[in-house]
Amino acid sequence: MAVAPEKPRIYEGSRIPSPTPTVLQVPPDLRGSEDLLQVNFGPNHPSTHGVLRLIVDLHGEDVVGLSAVVGYLHTGFEKSMEAKTWWKGITYPERIDYLSFQNNELVFVLAIEELLGLEVPEKATWMRMCLAELNRIHSHLVWLATAALELGSISMFWYCFRERDTILDLYEMVCGTRMHTRYFQAGGLAEDIPRGFFPEARKFVDWMPKGVDDYEGLVDRNEIWLERTKGIGLLSADDAIALGQSGPVLRGSGVDWDLRKAEPYLAYDQVDFNVPVYDNGDVWDRYKVHMDEMRESTRIVAQCLDRLEGMEGQPWIADDRKVVLPPREELHTSMESLIHHFKIVTEGYRVPEGEIYVAVESARGELGCYVVSDGGPRPWRVKFRAPSFVALEATATCMTDALVADLIAIVGSLDTVMGEVDR
Amino acid sequence: MPGLVETREAHGEMTLVVDPARLVEACTHLRDSEGFNFLADVAATDYLGWGGRGVAGYIGDASGRDLNRPGSQGLERTPEPKPKRFAMNYHLLAIPDGRRVRVQAWLDEDEPVPTLVPVWPTADWHEREAWDLMGIRIEGHPNLSRILMEDDWEGHPLRKDYPIGGEPVRFSGEE
Amino acid sequence: MALKDHGLNSERVLWVGKGPGVFEEELGNLEDKLGLSTVEKAVAWAQGSSIWPDTFGLACCAIEMMSIVSARYDIARFGAEVFRSSPRQADLLIVSGRVAHKMAAPLRQIYDQMLEPKWVIAMGACASSGGMFNNYAVLQGVDKIVAVDIHVPGCPPRPEALVEGIVRLQEKIKAGVPPAYEIRGVAS
Repeated sequence: MAVAPEKPRIYEGSRIPSPTPTVLQVPPDLRGSEDLLQVNFGPNHPSTHGVLRLIVDLHGEDVVGLSAVVGYLHTGFEKSMEAKTWWKGITYPERIDYLSFQNNELVFVLAIEELLGLEVPEKATWMRMCLAELNRIHSHLVWLATAALELGSISMFWYCFRERDTILDLYEMVCGTRMHTRYFQAGGLAEDIPRGFFPEARKFVDWMPKGVDDYEGLVDRNEIWLERTKGIGLLSADDAIALGQSGPVLRGSGVDWDLRKAEPYLAYDQVDFNVPVYDNGDVWDRYKVHMDEMRESTRIVAQCLDRLEGMEGQPWIADDRKVVLPPREELHTSMESLIHHFKIVTEGYRVPEGEIYVAVESARGELGCYVVSDGGPRPWRVKFRAPSFVALEATATCMTDALVADLIAIVGSLDTVMGEVDR
Repeated sequence: MPGLVETREAHGEMTLVVDPARLVEACTHLRDSEGFNFLADVAATDYLGWGGRGVAGYIGDASGRDLNRPGSQGLERTPEPKPKRFAMNYHLLAIPDGRRVRVQAWLDEDEPVPTLVPVWPTADWHEREAWDLMGIRIEGHPNLSRILMEDDWEGHPLRKDYPIGGEPVRFSGEE
Repeated sequence: MALKDHGLNSERVLWVGKGPGVFEEELGNLEDKLGLSTVEKAVAWAQGSSIWPDTFGLACCAIEMMSIVSARYDIARFGAEVFRSSPRQADLLIVSGRVAHKMAAPLRQIYDQMLEPKWVIAMGACASSGGMFNNYAVLQGVDKIVAVDIHVPGCPPRPEALVEGIVRLQEKIKAGVPPAYEIRGVAS
């Protein structure tokens, strides 16, 4: 167990409710009481992140019963992807977790490349890492903006969105669109990196630490913020692991587990960064994990830019013509290229038979993609392991002995995105 | 390991095929003796029509090139046949070692699988999703109800015999 | 009923140096045709300049909708000062994101709770027509259950596109075009 043995546990034992781990049951002595009020935090609520429905039993201000209803954004991604070719299917995973969309693309594309046994050029790997880290910062910014908004720090929203727009400008420069870029392909990147990207990205990297200082300066020593986040929503390390938590929730509970360090993918073993771990397991610690991760991600982006600037002129996508579209100039001269292009666009490339589970560290935790291929041009089964789906399972445990005002803080700190939960 | 039927390795991953009746025993053994304390994902797969004709975009059929359809390629190789219709895949992880393993249980239509909620509480919602979308009955689950679809929805959408639904798309040039 | 039936038949073209667009001209002609009284014009001006949207963010489009509140694409300068959480205090429902069938009932409930006059913008491809999700789970276009005034295309539409949609809605209101439910008869 990767928790320092000398530190005292947050609470003794396990607070996971039983028999249903995800439902807080009203204690028997309060059932049927006149003071019990069942309130619906409906799917349309300003403070639930997206369309989450919580059915809460209140005894005065205490939350004594809680159950979550999800499915209000179920889009049938997995079924839709079974009907589309591998190439066209890359547009779908982005919309699952719409805040860290590059990570979703990345996990699907990594799974395809594993099954194909395709080697990705170095430039593509480093650029993917750079964009994935920018995406992590983007996701944390939107999380911070909305979580702080709900707790009352309304001005944080404008501060965070200032940096967020800068990141989206960088995306627009490279990928052509702000969100849902579909820039990662099986084999590398869709297009080369434009030369104007590096100076702009440097400006962002130089500014960002001051931005994070701004955010911390707004709330870190604010009495109200401290009262509303310290000691709220406790989750011990053992409970977090039993409940399948990952990402900032797990690291805020004291478990030093980050897929970028433990099972490095892309080029994470070649960059220097720290993984923040805090062990009080409350909302404050998860907030600090997010803030520190923003700083660390900025460092990673800076290192990626250093490497990428030296890779000008290198290929950005693999050379395997059975999978990757040939460059357009060749279509005018080479018959094989024309045929390859035709086959890839109409039928789609074929991925050999097999099944694989690939996991990356998205902004919310372990984002996994389980792909089954039958050797054809379309996936047989794609299943996404969404960290927010699992994070919502922990609401009942975190809400033991909480007040209704803490409900907002706790649900906010779990950093859920309903697109992921419902898929 | 109790209940183990087969071990497979591919793409750097190990898959342990387990008898569904002894699943809880096997998983408890994995959690306590082997250290797999983290259940990452529960994925249910429907293999109806696996390797058959006209499924997943094949142009030919299992016997090869279809001479009556010029330009068809046929299958390069028939996919390996699967033992039963449904597979329940449990992806396990050992924190802090970082070992991963997949536990696979094969089920027929209507064959239930025991719940893993006593072993890893996180299995709760994953198993509800498997029931809701794939129709795999979980025995002993404390709250087996629909989670993503509406409560009165009929059918299990992710099954291969469930249509994708939606509307036919009309184009502006048509009548 | 398209804008064409009110006599408008072209897109506004924002060319530098072109002068006021054809859209504004046609709206001006429309105002003459409809012959609005001064009081009605004043009311329309007030309603159009102070549309308060309802917080109905569903999916990815909601993130771009949030960014029109941000300082760069400030929507408050067009009158949409605050996003009201209670539908009883909101004029405009921006349906931003894919509408699952499960969510269709709450959506209609929120729409019914809004007070007349109310307008609906279907933001993005999923709200306008189901988008890329032509399957069992997604409602193929939110205009199946509510009456939509403006469709904003995009996946997701840029914040400027949504601002354009809101501005065009304002111009429609000021020109006297009635809200969509009066034309389509969907509101109860």
